[in-house]
Amino acid sequence: MQLHPFEALADPTRRFIVGVLRSGERPVGEIVGQAGIHQSGVSRHLRILQESGFVSVRRDGQRRLYALRPGPFRELDAWLSDYRRLWEARLDRFGVALEERRKDRGATKKEPRR
Amino acid sequence: MSDTNASSPATETTQAKVVIERTYRARVEELWELWTTKAGFESWWGPEGFRVEVDALEARAGGALSYEMIADAPDAIAAMKRMGQPLSHATRGRFAEFKPHERLTLVHVIDFLPGAAPYESTIAVDFHASGENARMVVTLHPHRDEYWTRMSVEGFRSQLTKLDKLFGGPARLPLALQA
Repeated sequence: MQLHPFEALADPTRRFIVGVLRSGERPVGEIVGQAGIHQSGVSRHLRILQESGFVSVRRDGQRRLYALRPGPFRELDAWLSDYRRLWEARLDRFGVALEERRKDRGATKKEPRR
Repeated sequence: MSDTNASSPATETTQAKVVIERTYRARVEELWELWTTKAGFESWWGPEGFRVEVDALEARAGGALSYEMIADAPDAIAAMKRMGQPLSHATRGRFAEFKPHERLTLVHVIDFLPGAAPYESTIAVDFHASGENARMVVTLHPHRDEYWTRMSVEGFRSQLTKLDKLFGGPARLPLALQA
């Protein structure tokens, strides 16, 4: 089953692997060395990242080289922009609500009690 | 119980964090009320097309917040039906941090997603007085928020476009007050 991009990156080890690959293509052995967990664990995470489109793999002789693919990151970026706009709109409403409360107070509290 | 710890070396590079800052011509106390009173919270909490009815709001550290989020506008009702979602969601959370007029964190418990393990989503809000204005900084960690992910991906895009049109006029006003 393919995970949603956010689910794929929800795991700290997978985020770590993505962090390692940011500096370029890497063989699995090098990723294992940096991640500090067993190779089978890294392979499992790499497979999940590959299935969700974050990572590509190619053979280079005996080695398998892993690299990042831009697609899902762009998707995440677009999603984040939407998310931000949603919150911008929410805070616009916050501003409107604030204004309305001020107006109400101004109208009802012309002569403040005590 | 969330994984917001900083011990993971890759966290800071890929963990999405959205920070939104607004400055309003108001006092910090007035902003605070919109987050921490029933009437205040109901007056603005969204999303667009939804209204909320607060069941419980305990204004203190650790205090409960629970509310119904109800599709209200025809568009929102249609969108929820299309997604096979109920028109009303019981939502619960709590105020984790609660420093009056300074800072609060609002933790939502996301436990209503079929097939997804429950998790918590935290919103942090900092308040600063500056002259006649009050500045509010909202920090969000959307990667935890599977709920919004689905809502957005599965059909809220159209909602947003409409929303833009709706706010085309009035949105300029609060924007002008931004720092």
